[in-house]
Amino acid sequence: MNHAAYSALETTLAAPVITQGPPDIDYGLLSPMLVIFAAGVLGVLAEAFVPRARRRVTQLVLALGAVLLAFVLTVSLVGALPADGAGIVVAFATVAVDRPTLFLQGTILVLALASLLLIAEHGQEESSFAAQAAAVPGSEEEREHVLAGSQHTEVYPLVLFALLGMLLFPAANDFLTMFIALEVMSLPLYLLCGLARRRRLFSQEAAVKYFLLGAFSSAFFLFGIALVYGYAGSVNFADVAEAVAGGGAGVIANGEPLLLAGIALAGVGLLFKVGAVPFHNWKPDVYQGAPTPITALMASCTLVAAFGALLRVFYVPFGGSVWEWRPMMWVVAILTMVAAAVIAVTQRDIKRLLAYSSVVHAGFILTAVIAASPEGLAGAMFYLAAYGFTTVGAFAVVTLVRSREGGGEAGDLTQWAGLGRTSPVLAGALGLFLLAFAGIPLTSGFIGKFAVFEAAVAAGATPLVVIGVLSSAVTAFFYVRIIVLMFFAEPAEEGPRVLRPGGPTGVVIAVGVAATVFLGVYPGPVLDTMLPQPAEAEVAGEAPTDMFAR
Amino acid sequence: MTTHPSVHAEAVRLAAEPGFEGFGTDPWWIILIKALVIFVFLMLCVLMMIMADRKVMGRMQQRHGPNRLGPWGLLQSLADGVKLSLKEDLIPRSVDKVVYIAAPMVAAIPAFLAFSVIPVGPEVSMFGVQTRLQLTDLPVAVLLVLATASIGVYGIVLAGWASRSPYPLLGGLRASAQVISYEIAMGLSFIAVFIYSGTLSTSGIVEAQQPIWFAIILFPSFVIYLITMVGETNRLPFDLAEGEGELVGGFMTEYSSMKFTMFFLAEYVNMVTVAAMSVTLFLGGYLAPPPITTFWPGANEGWWPVLWWLAKFAAVMFLFIWLRGSLPRVRYDQLMQLGWKLLIPVQLVWITAVATIRVLRNEGYPPLVTSAVIVVFFLAVLAALLAMSRSAERRQAAEAEERARDARAVHEDPAYGGFPVPPAHAPHYGSSVPAEEPRTAPPAPSGKREEVTGA
Amino acid sequence: MELYAPIFVLGGIGAGFVVLSMVVGAIAGPKRYNRAKLQAYECGIDPTPQPVGGGRFTIKYYLTAMLFIVFDIEVIFLVPWAIHLDALGMFGLVAMLLFLVNVSIAYAYEWRRGGLEWG
Repeated sequence: MNHAAYSALETTLAAPVITQGPPDIDYGLLSPMLVIFAAGVLGVLAEAFVPRARRRVTQLVLALGAVLLAFVLTVSLVGALPADGAGIVVAFATVAVDRPTLFLQGTILVLALASLLLIAEHGQEESSFAAQAAAVPGSEEEREHVLAGSQHTEVYPLVLFALLGMLLFPAANDFLTMFIALEVMSLPLYLLCGLARRRRLFSQEAAVKYFLLGAFSSAFFLFGIALVYGYAGSVNFADVAEAVAGGGAGVIANGEPLLLAGIALAGVGLLFKVGAVPFHNWKPDVYQGAPTPITALMASCTLVAAFGALLRVFYVPFGGSVWEWRPMMWVVAILTMVAAAVIAVTQRDIKRLLAYSSVVHAGFILTAVIAASPEGLAGAMFYLAAYGFTTVGAFAVVTLVRSREGGGEAGDLTQWAGLGRTSPVLAGALGLFLLAFAGIPLTSGFIGKFAVFEAAVAAGATPLVVIGVLSSAVTAFFYVRIIVLMFFAEPAEEGPRVLRPGGPTGVVIAVGVAATVFLGVYPGPVLDTMLPQPAEAEVAGEAPTDMFAR
Repeated sequence: MTTHPSVHAEAVRLAAEPGFEGFGTDPWWIILIKALVIFVFLMLCVLMMIMADRKVMGRMQQRHGPNRLGPWGLLQSLADGVKLSLKEDLIPRSVDKVVYIAAPMVAAIPAFLAFSVIPVGPEVSMFGVQTRLQLTDLPVAVLLVLATASIGVYGIVLAGWASRSPYPLLGGLRASAQVISYEIAMGLSFIAVFIYSGTLSTSGIVEAQQPIWFAIILFPSFVIYLITMVGETNRLPFDLAEGEGELVGGFMTEYSSMKFTMFFLAEYVNMVTVAAMSVTLFLGGYLAPPPITTFWPGANEGWWPVLWWLAKFAAVMFLFIWLRGSLPRVRYDQLMQLGWKLLIPVQLVWITAVATIRVLRNEGYPPLVTSAVIVVFFLAVLAALLAMSRSAERRQAAEAEERARDARAVHEDPAYGGFPVPPAHAPHYGSSVPAEEPRTAPPAPSGKREEVTGA
Repeated sequence: MELYAPIFVLGGIGAGFVVLSMVVGAIAGPKRYNRAKLQAYECGIDPTPQPVGGGRFTIKYYLTAMLFIVFDIEVIFLVPWAIHLDALGMFGLVAMLLFLVNVSIAYAYEWRRGGLEWG
């Protein structure tokens, strides 16, 4: 480094100036996140001071109320945005509030509400969570806790904290905020994964795996941030975008390799959270081991949040170097769609199968990321919302089908044979969800795939779309196989016991079915009014066409 | 040293930082002399402190203490040291050898480092060179002291772990839990000092106490620092890690000869360090006690401050011995409760109060608001104290009731609570006389207090 | 670097003394073999077999360690704030109070749930 560069660095790294007046932060724009955070903190207080008997109700009211309030606030914020479609950056430009943010946050909140209902389900059977997670599985202490009816009401504050991270993740407007959001989102989830009531060792194994791999990917992400910072001299997305567009920020000469390595490493961190091949290994194990309501939360909300962040990172700061990262994304998307579809065919466990299906769907959404166009963004966001509702509904069904002995969930697909004859409504709902996963017309999955592939074709990624369609055909095969198994096979001797859906689970399944059908038959309102409108922004002329705040 | 211009510029800029003009400019031989003097001072302090420990304790217990070797027995600890080095250096067979040998070094070496930032005087002339009576000063000097203290804990933990034996393991675990618990309260007690001094450099903190010592305006911080400094050095009444009544020798049970001496040395050097820190942070360092300067303006110049520093330092060291002579060892749960449930919350409230009041005064809020805030803090503290005493009373009452119930139950059934008693109807130790019939009827309660007689 | 060099000088002197005296202790002392002396000390009984690799500690110590990390980080956050309190003024005070309240809530949770009981 020569001296001139050093002094340039010194000016960028100068000590922070202590502001004279208090900084001006628009708390109103952050209110959904603040509400969720406050509710989480109050939840911890409730854990400390509310008597044991009333804790669950208190926590439930607090969590559901906070999520509802946050959703209302999010919706009301849409009107607060400037009319030309541009977003606003808040709190020293660390958080961007724009149309994509609000749409994703709203989706996450609704899906979180559904997951919370599943978590709260406490009907005929006990809850899905361990009585005392600190007790050694199978020990006398554990038995005592089960008999005493202990329960972990800490689950609710933990979910709220995870939710805070998920809301911040797609809204973060600089890399450090994004990293913090990533950690806030992940740490509670690691814990929650280890809390399953049944097959506890399995659940703990899942938690440890998730934690170790997640820590790895966080390190990758952070390393990528460091390299990008070295290239651009800033972690702020707008500054990085400027540096990328201008071929460097003058911090170092010939910094291209630094930027490329930074993009790759930060991409690895994000692709891990999304679960794209080759960073998908955690997904089946964790989805299978975690308590099913938590799996529902991860499969829906975490995926939406992670894709939100991925979209923002690759559209805004790295948007100028789309030709550099596109080949890498091509490889990842093809691998994801092909490998996951092939592996999924061999799966025998319903939760593992849904996990691999989630990996395949991540591949489909990646084609929209590769499009790097406003249409791609809109398609990806629609896909995320549609997939989220469907997958929450599917996992809700999984919680109800229990094996005869032990009363745990019937994971093995052979036990599901003939379910359509014994409980047709439940099997019908699951059938609908599977058809939506497969992308059959008149379901939301079809519209989502159509939007995503259309955007990819428009961006010239036709080979990718061909592979995507072929992969859809493969996945359709195993979805349909389950439907055939449920409706046309003889019921198994030792068939599963189907619980009557209690209120919350029933509501979740109903909402899942309704959303899947509604978005499939009548997607107009969402596509035309709720998503950011590229055409509208082009007319306005000034705002960036993908409507990310810059 | 690299010749890189930018790196060098950075060093120059750092050295030129306000408050550090007198540091980093000494010639190498002055540094060497100062370092050697500090080392010798530390060793002398250790020898004298062991001596004083035994002498003063002896006087407190109506006996003489060691008085054979040298004038007034002053050479006793030196003789002890020589004798220890001539003892057999045992390494038990089961230990983890590398860690076992490294542990005393890890405990002892960092102990020396902390003293390098302790100011014992202002600028003086030493062999014709103007220099500060302080080895060096850093923008993060106080953090250096905290850091060396926490590295020293590793020595204790590793010693306990490497010995592969129950007593040392327990001692090591206890010591680490205790030291980290008290380190938080210690760190918190520094915060109020930083608020007033506005710097982490030790010489800056001393100079900031020019009109009045922090021990007076920040009295609660000072008291808590004194408590934590005893806890941090594992001294009585907090010497649970080596409580000989329960753990033989604690983490150093398996150590002998010079390795044992190193732990001993580390403990005493740490005492010297924390005492010197208390002088620096709270007792005005090398500054003369306030009334002296009014009639003798030269008291803070030249070599005199060393005298004031030594006097304060000796007073704090005496406090260690005094505590050891007067207080019994606390129980482990009491120790942890004191640290976590009393010192930390008190510190947090105190820091909040100090910061709030200072900001209110700085920003020119009317005195009425400030005094209202002070009153609110007072009321809050009073309410907390009241609630605490209430709950303590309730707990004591519940415990007393339980004890009374137990006592009654034992009276009825001697085997109550699982105590091994000979079977009541068995022939009594081989004789054919049947054992005494159990007393079934408890004696009628006489008066309020339950009294167990005949014990 | 000039400010830090003297610390290493003092550390070097200290390390030299420690290593030297440990070597002297190892050489100067007598060596009289006795099987019992080489056993771990347990008041005269045969030493308890120790699990390979150290075994498991009670979870209390981990709780203490975790709590320590939380509070130590709190202290570290407080240090720069305390030094610049006058410059940060009311905004800094309110921000730090919010932070302290949050940490205190976790602390209250741990206290109420028995994480601070060592009896």
